Amino acid sequence: MIGAEPAPSPGPAPTGAVLRKQDRDEVFIEYTKSICPVCKVVVDGQVNIRDGKVYLRKRCRDHGVFEALVYGDAQMYLDSARFNKPGTIPLSFQTEVRDGCPSDCGLCPEHKQHACLGIIEVNTGCNLDCPICFADSGHQPDGYSITLEQCERMLDVFVESEGEAEVVMFSGGEPTIHKQILEFIDAAQARPIRSVNLNTNGLRLASDKAFVAALAQRNQPAWAVNIYLQFDGLEERTHREIRGRDLRAIKRRALDNCAEAGLTVTLVAAVERGVNDHELGAIIEYGLAHPAVRSVSFQPVTHSGRHVEFDPLTRLTNSDIIHAIAQQLPDWFQAKDFFPVPCCFPACRSITYLLSEGTPGTPEFTVVPIPRLLNVEDYLDYISNRVVPDLAVREALEKLWSASAFMGTDTTRDRLAQAAAALDCGDACGINLPEAVANLTDRAFMIVVQDFQDPYTLNVKQLMKCCVEEITPDGRLIPFCAYNSVGYREQVREHMSGVPVADVVPNALPLRPILTDSPYGSKIARNGHDGRSRSAADATNVGRRIR
Amino acid sequence: MNVPIQPPSAAETKACCAAAYGSDVVALLLGESYHPGGLGLTRRLADRLRLSGGDRVLDVASGRGASALLLSGEYDADVTGVDLSPTNIALANDAARSTGLADQTRFELGDAERLPVGDADFDAVVCECAFCTFPDKPTAAAELARVLRPGGRLGITDVTVDPTRLPPELSGLSGRIACVADARPLDEYTDILTGAGLTATRTERHDAAIAAMLDQIEARLMLVRMTARDQAEALGVDFDRAPTLIAAARAAIGDGVIGYALITAQKTV
Repeated sequence: MIGAEPAPSPGPAPTGAVLRKQDRDEVFIEYTKSICPVCKVVVDGQVNIRDGKVYLRKRCRDHGVFEALVYGDAQMYLDSARFNKPGTIPLSFQTEVRDGCPSDCGLCPEHKQHACLGIIEVNTGCNLDCPICFADSGHQPDGYSITLEQCERMLDVFVESEGEAEVVMFSGGEPTIHKQILEFIDAAQARPIRSVNLNTNGLRLASDKAFVAALAQRNQPAWAVNIYLQFDGLEERTHREIRGRDLRAIKRRALDNCAEAGLTVTLVAAVERGVNDHELGAIIEYGLAHPAVRSVSFQPVTHSGRHVEFDPLTRLTNSDIIHAIAQQLPDWFQAKDFFPVPCCFPACRSITYLLSEGTPGTPEFTVVPIPRLLNVEDYLDYISNRVVPDLAVREALEKLWSASAFMGTDTTRDRLAQAAAALDCGDACGINLPEAVANLTDRAFMIVVQDFQDPYTLNVKQLMKCCVEEITPDGRLIPFCAYNSVGYREQVREHMSGVPVADVVPNALPLRPILTDSPYGSKIARNGHDGRSRSAADATNVGRRIR
Repeated sequence: MNVPIQPPSAAETKACCAAAYGSDVVALLLGESYHPGGLGLTRRLADRLRLSGGDRVLDVASGRGASALLLSGEYDADVTGVDLSPTNIALANDAARSTGLADQTRFELGDAERLPVGDADFDAVVCECAFCTFPDKPTAAAELARVLRPGGRLGITDVTVDPTRLPPELSGLSGRIACVADARPLDEYTDILTGAGLTATRTERHDAAIAAMLDQIEARLMLVRMTARDQAEALGVDFDRAPTLIAAARAAIGDGVIGYALITAQKTV
């Protein structure tokens, strides 16, 4: 056992004194299911609010009690519940309901949302060996790479499920070192998939201009190819701690090459407490100033795969990132400029858009968060609003506040213009503000805050509405957070490489006594603590009668 | 509210706030259908008025119909909207048709001081962020009372101002500041309503709504500077003075000098 239940105890009372009942120090708000982070068996979970923060707690019969912070601002968490829209049923499901969530991925018919974004990991190999990598990739001899045929099958499964798909993201490993990556992109573009994202560390973009040109050639109106560039900060220490080496010059060159070739880039920062959480404002400013960059995505480090030791009770969450942005750039942002994304579970992702003019650092530079220009909640609060002021504006906003929204696509540009219709000033003012803003959309900038779940924080309630899916070579669409937490990643790697892969266990402070190194740098349970079966069936409340 | 424009000429003699609200600059900075608190506050007002299915409701200064459609769509009320702008009336009627609510929601051209409806026609009247702009408030209040049936309910949300404490930047410009100029303290509104035969049943402060409106004005001002600086300056917007005025307004909101209130009242039976 690793932890014991925090048993509320009334404490010793002096003899003869009247025993008084005590209140718990937390408010119980949700009953859910999760997994044991050690053996991955499905267990009951409870969500509680304590000291204004939201925690998930669960208990494994074999490994004890686990608790993690899941949202740093309880009020914001509760307010976010309204930003939840009815899910869309995909055209096909790939699995059946058998053991229940999260053991049947996926997608099974109980899943509540279609795939806004499909991810194809083309390999496990990487030209970096970062201390932080949820995919546990690196210079490894025993991984796998997918073939063109496998890639085509994966794309077909995605299209079968989506009909017309919005976005596919090629990831890894490091997708740019796969020899057939351009053929994969061509295969995606030969199908009804509106845009392609390439998730990369930028090494090849920095050094291989011919490759950048080949990507740019494929980046066409209505068939965008966009770059999702790992970019954790501007300080050398950040690079060394998260990436293991100083990549600043390489990132700069990669960005400049993208700008020169006309490729649109999202800067993607893995944010760890005490490492680079002070650099959020600097990353936004840097992005606004670079011609290639149109958005920034902040992701609290997913404590799956490889990462530095962390305390689950003080991990970073979406609200921590949002408050930190407002604190670091108080002239530009307030926390309420960010709104939850209603297509997935609203606690998972928040987004804001802004319009800017001028060069950051100069006095004329102006930033306007778009949510200050219109009442976003009049459109995206699906619980209160049965009547919305303008359905076309809602339709635009729900595309913008979605996991499929990427800058540099026609969809996003058109939706920004459509949302501008809400900025009416009447014909009287003689200035057509909506039209003026529509012309500004090439200056629009998106900031995404996304907390992916890990074996500590996994909440089945959120997972069931996940809209970011890993497409597997065997033709499944597995919710990203299930893929990284429940054991699916290890299952797929083992199947594809033929090399046994143990379940990865978070490098969490309370687990230190039972952890040992995996061959890939992540942590696994020492002998005697390992999981019995991955994607294990539900161990609690499985229909047994008490007598 | 706090519109940084240069001194107007002929408009000065007209009732300032009504003129300002109809002005190009205000439309530019507020949009024509904006009101503080958004639909959330509209819903709260409807709840406070205990609106229910079949209630006949009049929305005075209905803009483009968002609130009226909410009252018919969510509360199943039968709603008539009245507005001074023919453009708004046309847009609101279009919206009623496109949301399938046209059989219980209609919009008509009309002035709050001479409402184009009969005596005692309505169970409830709502008026959001508009009463402060009516030049002759006692007459407007009497009109609101006239159209309510005995026992009918009135719901108002509006800007409140303590004129004695308005800071010099704002009071000096008071004739040229939309809404703030002719807004009154909360108790003066209830006095006006009492004078018209209405009994105030509830008042609530919603000052955060006006703070959010100021944020919006500031954001729109920046947007206008980005997109149409020359045109806006030709309309009289002074971008250099804007930050000072916005800061003064923000401070006034923080000090409780400018606020936003919800008032419900009932017509004497």
